[in-house]
Amino acid sequence: MSEPLRVLIAEDEALILMQLEFLVEDAGHVVLGSAATAAEAIGIAREVRPDLVFVDLQLRGGSSGIDIVRALRDDAAMILVFVTANAQHLPEGFEGAAGVIAKPFTEAVIFDTLAYFSECVHAPPPRSPLPLGLRLAPAYRDALGV
Amino acid sequence: MERDDAWHLTGDLMVEHGKGDPFAAAIRATRMPMIVTDPRRDDNPIVFVNDAFLRLTGYERGEIMGRNCRFLQGPDTDPNAIQQLREAVGARRDISVDILNYRKDGTSFWNALYMSPVITKGGDLHYFFASQLDVTDRVDAQMRTQNEKEHFEREVAKRTRELSDALAAKTMLVHEVDHRVKNNLQMVASLLTMQTRSISDPTAREAMKSMLTRVEALGTVHKRLYQSHDVERFDVAEFARELATDLVRGSGRSEISLHLDLEPVEVPVEKAPPVALMMNELITNALKHAFPSNRPGRLSIRVQPDGRYFGIRIIDDGIGMPQEVVGTRSFGKRLIESLARQLNASIAWQPGDPGTSIDIRLPRESPGAKDST
Repeated sequence: MSEPLRVLIAEDEALILMQLEFLVEDAGHVVLGSAATAAEAIGIAREVRPDLVFVDLQLRGGSSGIDIVRALRDDAAMILVFVTANAQHLPEGFEGAAGVIAKPFTEAVIFDTLAYFSECVHAPPPRSPLPLGLRLAPAYRDALGV
Repeated sequence: MERDDAWHLTGDLMVEHGKGDPFAAAIRATRMPMIVTDPRRDDNPIVFVNDAFLRLTGYERGEIMGRNCRFLQGPDTDPNAIQQLREAVGARRDISVDILNYRKDGTSFWNALYMSPVITKGGDLHYFFASQLDVTDRVDAQMRTQNEKEHFEREVAKRTRELSDALAAKTMLVHEVDHRVKNNLQMVASLLTMQTRSISDPTAREAMKSMLTRVEALGTVHKRLYQSHDVERFDVAEFARELATDLVRGSGRSEISLHLDLEPVEVPVEKAPPVALMMNELITNALKHAFPSNRPGRLSIRVQPDGRYFGIRIIDDGIGMPQEVVGTRSFGKRLIESLARQLNASIAWQPGDPGTSIDIRLPRESPGAKDST
């Protein structure tokens, strides 16, 4: 397998954060850090520059994952993916995020998503089929040419 | 010789002037209240009034002759209507207006007033002629209707607002509950994932993984619930696609190929969890037992409507179900049987050549009253 993805996770639910950390590591990737608020996540992301950021929508202290995506979306090197139980309320185009995974997700969807974006980063365009549980933003799909 | 204007000083039909003038006689005798005013004199006074007018207003002739008509107005007379009259007089044109007037005794009546100027050939304004009609009944009825209409509209608007508020509150509540259910299902899955990692005994670990796939199957059901066009229906075919794909991918068995033959089948939402769990058990079983030792193979899933029923067929080309899976009462097997009973489903397990074919046939609608809810 190619170079591991460097991943940041913005999730305020401790159990779900732990599960995501385990799944990322089980898939052979690296968790650079985690954040429970939008400000924290933006700060860490600017410092460590992850390849992939998992973004929950409702974060601690009433902060929103949408703010994370708005702050980081202009950095083309970072793939931003919402992981949320509110997927149906996201605006069309996902505010500039690459895609959305709806909660509750299955382990398989997280593994497939990591594999898919790993190909996007290291060997584009991806050869794997788009995971069923991952919805790509139209703009990101167009940019990939898939 | 009588005075020129003697004709308008009386209501007497036999008055000398105008005697034999059928028009003057008609105006005196008509039941339509009428007056004539003289704008050439100061303050446009009344110069003729017929008996019908006196009957309508309750005045004596002597009390109103020579006065301006404004004595008919009172506290509730619409200033707009008065202004319109004034403008018509000033502009020497005719006017028709409903105006609230007052009798001598102070009671009011709605007067459908028609007033028109009498202009000579030479263009001189000589008189204004006015006819009155008591239309109190009509105006009252109109106002009552208008009031009722406005009252009704206010009530409808109020009720609509209440319903909109209630709907907004209900929608918010549904979203909140939906969000919580999804998050809680995710947390249950998280706990199972993490506990599984800490278990070294392969059998126990396997059991934990089975539990995780069951919880994940229920999670997928819930995730899909509000995605269809109808919140009360659940598409079994699209669910089967997601479940089977997840299970095959989750098994890590890339040498097993998945074939889907799916036609849309919508069932009531209450059937979704048992259908999902049953499919989960059957597909998991096939993945676990049909292809041992990394044996490659093909798993196909078909969902098809069949009249008032629908069918789910799961076929593998593996080694065939081992006797201990078909015969014994494992937890998975009992789960399948219980769910089948709940769904009134029939299950046929048939040896394939090679492999196993499982046919499930189940009614699309729920029995009894639940249909109509």
